Amino acid sequence: MSSNIDFKALWQQQPVSQSDMKDLMNRLYQFKQSNIRRLIKTNILLVATSLFIGFVWYYYQPQLISTKIGIVIIILAMVIFLFVYNKMFALFNKIDNTSDNAHYLQNLIVIKGKQRFLQHTMMNLYFTMLMVGICLYMYEYTSRMTMTAGIITYAVTLIWVVFNWFYLRPKTIKKQQAKLDDLISKFEGINKQLSV
Amino acid sequence: MTFDEIYKIYWQKIFRLCLGYVNDFDWAKDIAQETFIIVWQQLPKFRNESAIGTWIFRIATNNCLRQIEKDKRSPKAALPDDLKEEKQPSIEPQIRFLYQCIAELPETDRIIISLELEDVKQTEIASITGLSEANVRVKIHRIKEKLSQKFKAHAHEQ
Repeated sequence: MSSNIDFKALWQQQPVSQSDMKDLMNRLYQFKQSNIRRLIKTNILLVATSLFIGFVWYYYQPQLISTKIGIVIIILAMVIFLFVYNKMFALFNKIDNTSDNAHYLQNLIVIKGKQRFLQHTMMNLYFTMLMVGICLYMYEYTSRMTMTAGIITYAVTLIWVVFNWFYLRPKTIKKQQAKLDDLISKFEGINKQLSV
Repeated sequence: MTFDEIYKIYWQKIFRLCLGYVNDFDWAKDIAQETFIIVWQQLPKFRNESAIGTWIFRIATNNCLRQIEKDKRSPKAALPDDLKEEKQPSIEPQIRFLYQCIAELPETDRIIISLELEDVKQTEIASITGLSEANVRVKIHRIKEKLSQKFKAHAHEQ
């Protein structure tokens, strides 16, 4: 080396933050808690909604088959969403963080790609099923209303559906994808550093 | 080796590695702690296939690489300088400059040079990063040259 600067000595003189064991154990505990809490939160929300719909079924005893199909589709949409969400969570836990950097990055890129696909497909499927389910479900109750009230009810619902489909859905997907795309390209960039 | 022993031996090394990567005292502490949480979780699965040091450094460096996902950290840099200064223990400007220069390198170079300065053998660095040994040697040489140049330029400025 042309220079006489002792980088090693400089490097090792850096004062180090003293983290005590207790602090670390605290964080470990919090970390476990937050992971579990996150999982429970999403699952509870979906389970509660499904239970509520089940209750409606039981309590109001719908007569038409369309109502029942509607309910099943809505619950199914949520169950699928739940399943995929949980699966995605497992995907991240499966990354072997004890492999070398090159392999780790490759795995990370693959998993992010999978996540991208899952999110995209899932959002579309979820929205479609939810809308179909709601429309079917509503039919029995609107058919008992007067014509005008029925039309208004459907019109309002359809406006909401259109808003979801053309505004909320693309926006949600775009936001998720942009974030993932950005991450994937950054990881690919780092991975390239290793192959140079 | 028990977790306590590992923690005692490796905390300083891992902390410095993280500090070299992000050049932010609090952030480095966070990553180092996260690393030990993973070590704690994975330790029962450790099979002596590699040296424990290599194994821990792999976890730590992989964890550093993932920091990109937490880019919400960056606004911290916008804090007023005097506020940031307080958190950093007063250290020699030369040490600070070294860490700053390292944190400005490409991600994998930061890892390679930090491991080298931490006295990790080049065969081990190769096994941690997944590069060939020859490649590691070349890269270390280049990075050191780059750092020397920066130091020289810095000395001239003052």
